[in-house]
Amino acid sequence: MGRSKVRKNNNNKKNKPVKKFRLYMHGKLVVLFALVLLAFVALSVKLINIARNNGDEYKRRVLAQQTGNSIIIPYKRGDILDRKGGKLAYSEKVYNLMIDAKEVNDNQGSHIEPTIKALQASFPKLDIQKVRDYIKDSPTSRYKIFLYGLTYDEISPFEKLSAEELSPEDEKAKRTITGVYFEEDYKRRYPYNNLACDLIGFESGAGGVFGLEEYYNDELSGIDGRQYSYINEDSVNERTRKPATDGHTLVTTIDSNIQSIVEKHIERFYENNKNAYRTGPAADNIGVIVMNPQNGEIYAMAGYPSFNLNEPRNLDGIDLSPFMPQEDVPANVSGNESASTSENQVSVNQAPKDVEMFTFTGPDGQVYTIDNDTRGIISNKIWRNFCISDSFEPGSVMKPFTIAGALDSGSITGNETYECGGYLQVGKFQIHCHNRLGDGLLTIKQGVAKSCNVVLMSVAFAMGKEEWLRYNATFNFGQRTNIDLAGEASASSLVFGENMGKTDLAIASFGQGQNTTMIQMATGFCALVNGGYYYQPRVVSEIRNAEGAVIEEKNARIVKQVISEQTSEKMREYLEAVVMSDKSECTGWSARPAGYREGGKTGTAEKAARDGVNYVISFMGYVPADDPQVLCYVVIDRPNHAMQSESTRLATVLNKDIMTEVLPYLNIFPTEPLTEEERAALSESQGTFSDYAGSVSDNSVSENAAVSENAAEGGENTEEAEEKEEGGIKYDPATGYPLDPATGEVLDPVTLRPVNGNASDIVNISLTPSEPESDEADSEGEE
Amino acid sequence: MTQTESVRQRNRSGRAGAKQKKAKTRTYMDYGIVFIVVFLCCFGLIMIYSITQYTLAMNDMTPTVYLRKQAWSLAGGIIAMVAAMLISYRFIQKVSFIIYMFSICLIPLVLTPLGRGEINGASRWLNLGGVSVQPSEIVKTAVIIYGAFIINKYKHLLESLIGTILISLVAVVPALLIFVITKNMSSAIVIIGVFFLMMFVASKKTWYYVLAAGGLVGVAATVVHMVNTRKIDPSSSFRFARITAWLDPYADSSGGGYQILQSLYSIGSGGIFGKGLGHSIQKGLIPEAQNDMIFAIICEELGVFTGIAIILMFIILVWRMLIIAKNADDLYGSILVVGVMSHIALQVVINVAVVTNTIPNTGIPLPFISYGGTSLLMFLVEVGLVLSVARRIPCENQE
Repeated sequence: MGRSKVRKNNNNKKNKPVKKFRLYMHGKLVVLFALVLLAFVALSVKLINIARNNGDEYKRRVLAQQTGNSIIIPYKRGDILDRKGGKLAYSEKVYNLMIDAKEVNDNQGSHIEPTIKALQASFPKLDIQKVRDYIKDSPTSRYKIFLYGLTYDEISPFEKLSAEELSPEDEKAKRTITGVYFEEDYKRRYPYNNLACDLIGFESGAGGVFGLEEYYNDELSGIDGRQYSYINEDSVNERTRKPATDGHTLVTTIDSNIQSIVEKHIERFYENNKNAYRTGPAADNIGVIVMNPQNGEIYAMAGYPSFNLNEPRNLDGIDLSPFMPQEDVPANVSGNESASTSENQVSVNQAPKDVEMFTFTGPDGQVYTIDNDTRGIISNKIWRNFCISDSFEPGSVMKPFTIAGALDSGSITGNETYECGGYLQVGKFQIHCHNRLGDGLLTIKQGVAKSCNVVLMSVAFAMGKEEWLRYNATFNFGQRTNIDLAGEASASSLVFGENMGKTDLAIASFGQGQNTTMIQMATGFCALVNGGYYYQPRVVSEIRNAEGAVIEEKNARIVKQVISEQTSEKMREYLEAVVMSDKSECTGWSARPAGYREGGKTGTAEKAARDGVNYVISFMGYVPADDPQVLCYVVIDRPNHAMQSESTRLATVLNKDIMTEVLPYLNIFPTEPLTEEERAALSESQGTFSDYAGSVSDNSVSENAAVSENAAEGGENTEEAEEKEEGGIKYDPATGYPLDPATGEVLDPVTLRPVNGNASDIVNISLTPSEPESDEADSEGEE
Repeated sequence: MTQTESVRQRNRSGRAGAKQKKAKTRTYMDYGIVFIVVFLCCFGLIMIYSITQYTLAMNDMTPTVYLRKQAWSLAGGIIAMVAAMLISYRFIQKVSFIIYMFSICLIPLVLTPLGRGEINGASRWLNLGGVSVQPSEIVKTAVIIYGAFIINKYKHLLESLIGTILISLVAVVPALLIFVITKNMSSAIVIIGVFFLMMFVASKKTWYYVLAAGGLVGVAATVVHMVNTRKIDPSSSFRFARITAWLDPYADSSGGGYQILQSLYSIGSGGIFGKGLGHSIQKGLIPEAQNDMIFAIICEELGVFTGIAIILMFIILVWRMLIIAKNADDLYGSILVVGVMSHIALQVVINVAVVTNTIPNTGIPLPFISYGGTSLLMFLVEVGLVLSVARRIPCENQE
């Protein structure tokens, strides 16, 4: 059609000489057109060449450029809930502030100032100079994270700023704030900070460490998702998003209220007994387990010191003095601050100055300067769970096991009587009772109640070594209880074996010479009093997936029956006598919570040095005495007391204080009439005890707001509450524990005997050598 | 002659005969141009949407922002085109000086508060009542309109060298202004190039232009050589840096050579028939993909085949204009059409040459297709002028 018109027009031109268009112009136009045509043909040829010659290579390059856009979508770590559904640990979506320097530097730097201004206004925490340096020094860098773990509220002002910028014109050129991105991530939060820290463990970035976080790491972890694009068979760039699989939620048997009651009393114990006899904390260590003897559920488990799970590496506010390497203390008075340093500043390591040092402030303003290695060692000691990871000689709490084994095996009937002369001659050694004068004729029951070593040794000899060892193994000593917590010790190398001698058997009968862990003792004791059923102790009752469906239920698991029902009944009778007998007839009367019938056993174990100075005192109690519903085991390692062997009341009173609060909480009602004294004491303690109800019990799962609020300010609140209580006690020291006359003795400097408080190494409690001949073996298991 | 053909001829002659009585004023309408221009514009809209919607959507903006703006420009452009077509170009010839001066006055305005400030290191836009306008695009059209008037009026001057130089000031002055004030060299080059071609066609002398072109090529070759041998430091100006990037785009593939390499990757990876509309993976990577680099994305999505088809459309367009230029009623009309024709041809050639790395990188939009309201509007006005010239072609003697 075009051509016909051309012809037409050409004809026109010939027919019309009036044309203004000159002939030479026609030629030049054709030349011009030819040039244009030539250029177009040349460019078309070039186009085809590019596609044909470099097509494959360029295709690959295009695809290679695409590989960068694979993004990892982080999974959400599962929650840890307490038995009421309150969140002990959860993961919160956070954002990391990322800056793309190349993008900020685009357009001759016109973005730099507005972007920095917006950053400065929105993120007060951000070191703006660092951002400037980064943008200037590495202008082609595309990825650097400046702030981690920002909440949505923290980033929203910036998002708003850049959104306002965008909206009016929607034009690329208008965008002056650019190159700032927020990467999604999750941050682990522990709303109660220190609560149950040893039990829960924490998330270290590379998985859980200690406690539940480590033991259930696989369940809590999910699978990262991924967003990526690929080219499908039609050469189409397909974008695919594979969502992350979130981790499972753990429902635990922990009760935050009981846990906080326990921790409060531990804290108070440390507060009250600090510097009581020697300079330093109230004890080297303390452990408390509260559990249900009828099914092995752990209600609470605590040690000392506690740490903030949200900042496990920050040791501020923790009394580190027991952990500091001792030998360096006097040697390390540095020159610059001579006076104050010698008192307050304890620094380890005279290593060259380039070693990175960390400084932490203790609760009373002491300054600890430690190097990284020391910090690691100390941190590990603080993080480990004393209740399951440390073993010690249990002392007299072991006695019921010996008696139960003897009864169950038929070695004794329970009707025997023994004459206690204050000691028993075993081979070359005189092994003494606590009461060196002797208690005279004692039944088994009285022997247990008075914690008479002579009775126990006699019973053990009646059993014989084989029987005793058989029952020792039956009660699982030397084996893990398989509690679902990371770091449980078995102490298998620290228990007696076939080669035990007669002296060994004698001292083993009252809990010296072999090591056990607290959880072994508590679990075994549950079996003694619950009818003989050895339940596997457990912390997790249920595992749910991210959608909330239960995928695994962890029911009570009876591992074995260790003693018969009848033996167990007899044991309950004996153990009740330890607490419920007349004050002169028993050792554990001070452990009884007013109004309840409690059974239990005291323990005072001499530590391995056998110097009669350092002891581990303990008390294992359960309520009600005839039908145990809750069991509480308190262990205090090397109490700060002038006469540690006489300080067992510290453990019994601690047990009583905890029980007094826990029992009503668990709806276990008093069965015994209260005396006037008890009534007065209870109403006295009412004010101090009730404090905790408000701070923890309200936090059920459904109230997310409450939980997060707690996360924000929980720490401070707790501290305040704590101080208030302290204040109360300070003003009223005598009536704070009116039933505990021992308190006055402990603090009374008049009764002090010269005792070397620093003599022994407390970290390892080692087994007494098995060859009694070579040892002094004047061991005492007392009370 | 087959039967159908004879029938057709009979019909045609019959129609012509019937009309002949009142056909004295019958106007000629070149539907071929209209069709091609409208087609290219609509094709441009589709490509702009295809390119921009993804990036916009990813940035949480309305994916049709660019499409809508361009559609409004197109609507305005079509109205302007029809208006230009209906207004006698002879009237425009009379007011050409006013248009010319007005457009030149717009250039320095970019430095006033009316200018939209520095964007990409140069102020090139004016903000007139909420509408962004690029004065250089308007100047291009104005130079064609006024240049044709001058050439028509002082044609005799073109016979002498001095006269030629004097006349060329019509283009050189605004080109210099644009270069100095808006730092927009490509527009300046286009203005001078278009006027050069207009003079070339109008003048009887040929060797002036051959010499000038030869000299220009020589200067360009020398500069390129000097940059290549580092006698001129390429880092002294981004223009020299672009020359090094052109010579070896791989040398600085993430810097100067980035845009051009990405463009080549697009064309190469698209192959002959492309990845399919909307399936470009390069559009997020090429800077100005919807603008100066739109041809690369066309090739990526629809293949080199479509790229060449588009070039063919432009060839037909230029061809149609050539016909109109030859048949225009007067010299002014002819020169005007030659100007428009050169303008379109020059921009297409430069744009495609840049995309294929045939010449150093410089930002020139592809006529009718690239995103950019002023450019589209002015091209449509120019097409309207061409149609206006075509309307005045006397056709009473047809057949």
